[in-house]
Amino acid sequence: MNNSTPVAGISARVRHAEHVMGTVVSFDVPVFARHEGILQAAVRWLHWVDRVFSPYRPDSDVSLLARAEVTVDACAPEVAEVIAACAFLSDSSGGYFTASPGGQFDPSGFVKGWAVERASQLLSAAGSADHLVNGGGDVQCAGGRAPGEGWRVGIVNPFHAGQLALVVAGRDFAVATSGTAERGLHIVDPVSGRPATGLASLTVAGPSLTFADAYATAAFAMGDALAREWTESLEGYEAFAITDDGATWQTSGFSRYIAVD
Amino acid sequence: MRRVILAVTGTVAGLVALLTFKTHTGEPSEAALSPAPAQAGTGSTTTTVLPAGERAVTGNVANTVYGPVQVQLAVKANKIVKVSILEQPSSTEHDLQIGQFAFPKLIAETLSAQSARIDSVSGATYTSGGYIKSLQSALDNGV
Amino acid sequence: MASAVRPGALLAIIGAGAAAVLVLWWHSTLAISGLGGWLTGAGEVLGLLSGYGVVVLVLLMARVTPIERGVGADRLARWHAMGGRYVISLITAHALLIIWGYAVSAQTGLLHETDALLTTYPDVMMATVAWFLLLVVGITSARAARKRLRYETWYYLHLYTYLAIALAFSHQFADGAAFVSDLAARFWWSALYLVAAALVLWYRVVVPLRAVVRHGFRVAGIRQEAPRTVSIYVKGRRLRELQAEPGQFFRWRFLARGMWWQSHPYSLSAVPSDDLMRITVREVGDDSNMLRSLRPGIRVIAEGPFGAFTPGRTGRSVLLLAGGVGIAPLRAMFAALTGKITLIYRASSWQDIVFRPELDAIAEAKNATVHYVVGTRTDLGVDPLSASALRQLAPGLHRMDVYLCGPPGMTGTAVAALTEAGVPRRRIHYESFEF
Repeated sequence: MNNSTPVAGISARVRHAEHVMGTVVSFDVPVFARHEGILQAAVRWLHWVDRVFSPYRPDSDVSLLARAEVTVDACAPEVAEVIAACAFLSDSSGGYFTASPGGQFDPSGFVKGWAVERASQLLSAAGSADHLVNGGGDVQCAGGRAPGEGWRVGIVNPFHAGQLALVVAGRDFAVATSGTAERGLHIVDPVSGRPATGLASLTVAGPSLTFADAYATAAFAMGDALAREWTESLEGYEAFAITDDGATWQTSGFSRYIAVD
Repeated sequence: MRRVILAVTGTVAGLVALLTFKTHTGEPSEAALSPAPAQAGTGSTTTTVLPAGERAVTGNVANTVYGPVQVQLAVKANKIVKVSILEQPSSTEHDLQIGQFAFPKLIAETLSAQSARIDSVSGATYTSGGYIKSLQSALDNGV
Repeated sequence: MASAVRPGALLAIIGAGAAAVLVLWWHSTLAISGLGGWLTGAGEVLGLLSGYGVVVLVLLMARVTPIERGVGADRLARWHAMGGRYVISLITAHALLIIWGYAVSAQTGLLHETDALLTTYPDVMMATVAWFLLLVVGITSARAARKRLRYETWYYLHLYTYLAIALAFSHQFADGAAFVSDLAARFWWSALYLVAAALVLWYRVVVPLRAVVRHGFRVAGIRQEAPRTVSIYVKGRRLRELQAEPGQFFRWRFLARGMWWQSHPYSLSAVPSDDLMRITVREVGDDSNMLRSLRPGIRVIAEGPFGAFTPGRTGRSVLLLAGGVGIAPLRAMFAALTGKITLIYRASSWQDIVFRPELDAIAEAKNATVHYVVGTRTDLGVDPLSASALRQLAPGLHRMDVYLCGPPGMTGTAVAALTEAGVPRRRIHYESFEF
């Protein structure tokens, strides 16, 4: 019915904000995606993830698992997939990424980025080659906002609400930021058990949001010195950090993401 | 001629009234769903899948540049239909609605920070409540 | 008597519909912020009202019988004209506000945004064509333009409104925030349009054709009453069933060459019998040769009866005040009324006076009074229809029911004079056309 090809001009796009998983997931998709139910499909996926993985719902698979009321086999197959991925990440981050913070099984740190990336894949598979999905501050992009352009993502200034510290840009990439900018959400160093020190904010950019999110969380928990060393060693992912006292550092390949105005 | 003037002024006045009321939003609504630590809203966690019916999302008390704010959103059919402020900064002289005056101020700060022209914002995870005051929310509302 | 919708009731229904449209917008809109949000919001409200308004305009002219009976064709035509100007303005404002609002939100220029809207948004191009069509229709319907246009041309242009409505329909669903993700809204909106289309088809096509089949209207004969006035006799079957009352009119479509596409509102100039009706028409411009070319046997499509200009039964004395060819409906009333009647027949010259023998005969039979007030103002020197003149011609005027029919200028001054002479507004009944 719709005669438009996905022209990624600014005005042929639609924005949509969905409240799910305890945060807000923002979509920037072509008009036809909203029109043809593609967007709705991605949104339904997110709500399904919420139902299965939310630790705040007593009847979710994750809660049941945490209380040992079911086994992994009886859960949705994605649960096993998530558990396996978390195990891998925990291993490669020396334990700084964990699916059981404080001993309680809660893979939320992984699930959000993973769910958002999957939502983006749903959109791509359904024909939206250019879109952006932002799940509570973690961004997955496909294509660019216009032919020949990429997507521009601002990184929040942790000391000054409403200001940006930096703008990154690129095509087909993801950006995730860990930090303590919002009261009540502390990244705890799982090794020492106390809040991580030294960093105000750490951003990881790379092709997949699932990994970017997990790496950012793990690196932030490591604290300034360890994070710098570890992120430099990551293949295909770059990091940018803002320390407690306002200084910044970045991995050697990060400059390719910095937006040139 | 008099009729023309009446028609024009009547239409414009009606439009302004409608739009003004739309930027000033309404009352809280029903069952809470998200991980809101024992806040307002009536208890029962519904598992009704969208788009049937409204649900309320209550945020944590968030620190804003104007003081502590707690926001409750009513969501219906994928859209935020109402925003209500449950707790407002007592020191503010401005109008209740954060969204109304904060956004222009925030956006102005953003632009002066870097003339950014950004599509999205990455930062530490915000909850639904914190979202309202976030730059991402401003972008989503098409400002 | 069949059902009739009073003017106040019709306005209330239209208003309720508009309110429902505003509620639809309210429910479908997020909180608004920023200049872009305001502009777009305003554009959306006006767009919805326009989509509703065109349906109302079409229905006003759909010849829906209860509405015609209750409101009156002349008032409906005036409402349609006023409403038409308003709705076309709404549509224009809607288009401009949307372009502007979208441009602000997307932080781009107006030209770029216009181009984007036209080329990438579904069905906007068609809607833009529709907009221009309606602008043409609106401009050509202005009084200044219609004076210069042949009625035929104006009529054909006006038909393009149907095309415009069809072209613009789909963009409402494809681009309208109120409809894009709301199935119920789309359903009810479609229902609104479908019902309107059905009513138009029924009352403008089916009903007249059905009447033709049932009554078999044909021209029976023509008679020249005065140099520029002819009476047309139309015969038929079972005409009593039409229940036409004196003062009412029909819309006549003569199926003769060059005339079949025109529908003329002419009043009955005599009380119809079961097989014969008479209308009396003043020839104007192109019509003249046409009317005289009507031969007996030519089929006629007669729609009606219409018109709220009929005598009530109040028992009061009646004054009939006719100007020029306004005598036609009043002649029918004159024949049908009982009680004390005074008829004042105003014309510029004796040549224009028609039905003189009939009127005198009726007057004698009923003991009614007829005053022929003939001559131009300059000849007479005074205004023959001033308040004092009327009081003299019709003593006890202020207690009478007055029925008035004539050219618009005359009815206007007459109403003023009657009011000055003490006749309450509610007892002054008149019908005026601007065709």
